Amino acid sequence: MVSYILKRLAMSLLIIYIVISLSFFMIRLMPGNPMAALEAQLRMQGGLSEVEIQQRINAVYSVTPDAPVWEQYVQYVWGAVRGDLGRPITNPGTTVVAVIAEALPWTIMVVAVSLIISFIIGIAVGAMMAAFQSSRFSQSMTFIVSFLSAIPSYLVAIALLYVLTSVYQVFPSGGAYGVDVTPGFNGPYVISVLYHAILPIAASVITSFGGWALGMKGSAVSVLGAEYVRAAESRGLSDRRITQSYVGRNSMLPMVTQLALSVGFMFGGSVFIETYFQYPGIGFYMIQSVGQRDYSLMMGCFLLITVSVIITNLLVDMLYPLVDPRIANPAARARAADQPSDTDQEVLPAGGSMA
Amino acid sequence: MRFLSDLWRILRHDKGALIGGAIVLIYCLAAIFGPMLVEVGNEQDASQAYLAPSLEHPLGTDSLGQGVLSQIIVGTRPIMIVGVLSAVITVFVGVAIGLLTGYVGGVADTVIMRITDIFLTIPGLPLIIVLASVINTTNPVVLACILSITAWAGLARAIRSQAMSLRSREFVEAAKLQGVSLGNMVGRQLLPNVGPYVAIHFLLAITGAIYASVGLFLLGVAPISGNNWGIMINLAMAQGALYTTDSAFYLFSPMAAIVILQVAFVFFSRALDSVFNPRLRVQ
Repeated sequence: MVSYILKRLAMSLLIIYIVISLSFFMIRLMPGNPMAALEAQLRMQGGLSEVEIQQRINAVYSVTPDAPVWEQYVQYVWGAVRGDLGRPITNPGTTVVAVIAEALPWTIMVVAVSLIISFIIGIAVGAMMAAFQSSRFSQSMTFIVSFLSAIPSYLVAIALLYVLTSVYQVFPSGGAYGVDVTPGFNGPYVISVLYHAILPIAASVITSFGGWALGMKGSAVSVLGAEYVRAAESRGLSDRRITQSYVGRNSMLPMVTQLALSVGFMFGGSVFIETYFQYPGIGFYMIQSVGQRDYSLMMGCFLLITVSVIITNLLVDMLYPLVDPRIANPAARARAADQPSDTDQEVLPAGGSMA
Repeated sequence: MRFLSDLWRILRHDKGALIGGAIVLIYCLAAIFGPMLVEVGNEQDASQAYLAPSLEHPLGTDSLGQGVLSQIIVGTRPIMIVGVLSAVITVFVGVAIGLLTGYVGGVADTVIMRITDIFLTIPGLPLIIVLASVINTTNPVVLACILSITAWAGLARAIRSQAMSLRSREFVEAAKLQGVSLGNMVGRQLLPNVGPYVAIHFLLAITGAIYASVGLFLLGVAPISGNNWGIMINLAMAQGALYTTDSAFYLFSPMAAIVILQVAFVFFSRALDSVFNPRLRVQ
């Protein structure tokens, strides 16, 4: 168990390191890279001495531009490790970390809530579809669910915006809370936050619960046909016992694996949803910084999205032994590995291959 | 031609899949022949702006007085080209890596699978946005490469696990004893056995690439030039289509075009799934 977690931890750190390096190379080493562009721009402005120019660049990207490349690289990585990601070009008064720290809780709230809601709805609908196979309910649900899961989330966002904020002005069209409430733990503020979060959450739930339902249906149907379920039935166990301990638990297994994969997908989708609902989360700032060519903020957002995804993956990995005891027990794991499992071939991530 | 007759038999009984397949076919034809039949001119006529649907312009006009329908037809080609190109790259890389590592195994397998894990963990869409903002994506091939930057990893993993179970089968054993080359082993022996899976994944990769590429144009990350659905929605939103009701057709027509295509792909791929996977037909 400990070695399993340590292995996952080492892998996570490696990925974070790679993403930090990637962001350095993109900022510094690309032909016509943003750092050289900033330097040229500052020269063009005139009135700045060479030292001042170097200082400005140092402030924005937290590296010394005239040092050798490897030294800059070490500076950049060390800065990122200490939590210093430089300053946004468009707003040098603050730091990238401060902007992100303000934005991240909103994104995490929306992503987490919509993931949980769509997971629960999807699992329930999928289980019902598997329980009443070939009923009219199941057939029409299959159609509705495949239809909804094929629609890109940003189109649902635009449609919701059009109908519910413009034609019928039921919901606010932007922001995380109203201007008339004071932030803090009080009734009006909490209500305002929920009120503003409904549309972004609805947009991602509508498009993502279908994937869960289809996956759950497929997995439950294949478990229903398994020998151990028939054995449990012939032993005369109660329906409730069979549904919970035999069918439910085993068909949930691939779904929990999916959960880890879909976190990354949800964070990706939140970029669109936050931009359209002008919800001040990390995706919103990322797109804004892309539009303003603000590369230090953009790479900071990307780094933080990656780290959030990795941390949630780690959490799911630690949760996994609870659902599947074979993972924690090495002997059972070896036995399970001997039989080639085809769970990862059967279930496609919600959203196809973009997850 | 067993495959085609099988496909037809399934399609005949599954109306959703039949309609899906027909729609995909229509879109392909529109992508190939559309720009020859319809033309979107450069002339601007403000007096013709935001017209209601008429015989001349079945879906109304945009802010410059040009027909929305003809723009949608012309815009099909760039979207389909990028989608298909990206799916080809995704499938090629994913299958090649999956089959090779699954068959060869050993240290190479471990190392390459660790790299695959990295690509699997990094969130795809943010990486695509970041890359597209630094790299010039006017060339569709470059855009397709960026779109498939992480998509291949999932396929490679799935194909690898299939290749590993194929490795111990008799026909692989027999081919090995005949001393066939590695290329023959992978291309001639293993590939046909994972073909069905690859075909379905190819369709899903197209939908994924269309989702991401339209998204890039929507957000304005990819350069706004030429004419495609993402650019249309982007312009419509920028011109305040949300706040006036006249431009509803201009905003919702390209959205409908995307939704219809994506849904058609999903339903069609379900039919393909049951052609290749007889187990599913029983259910």
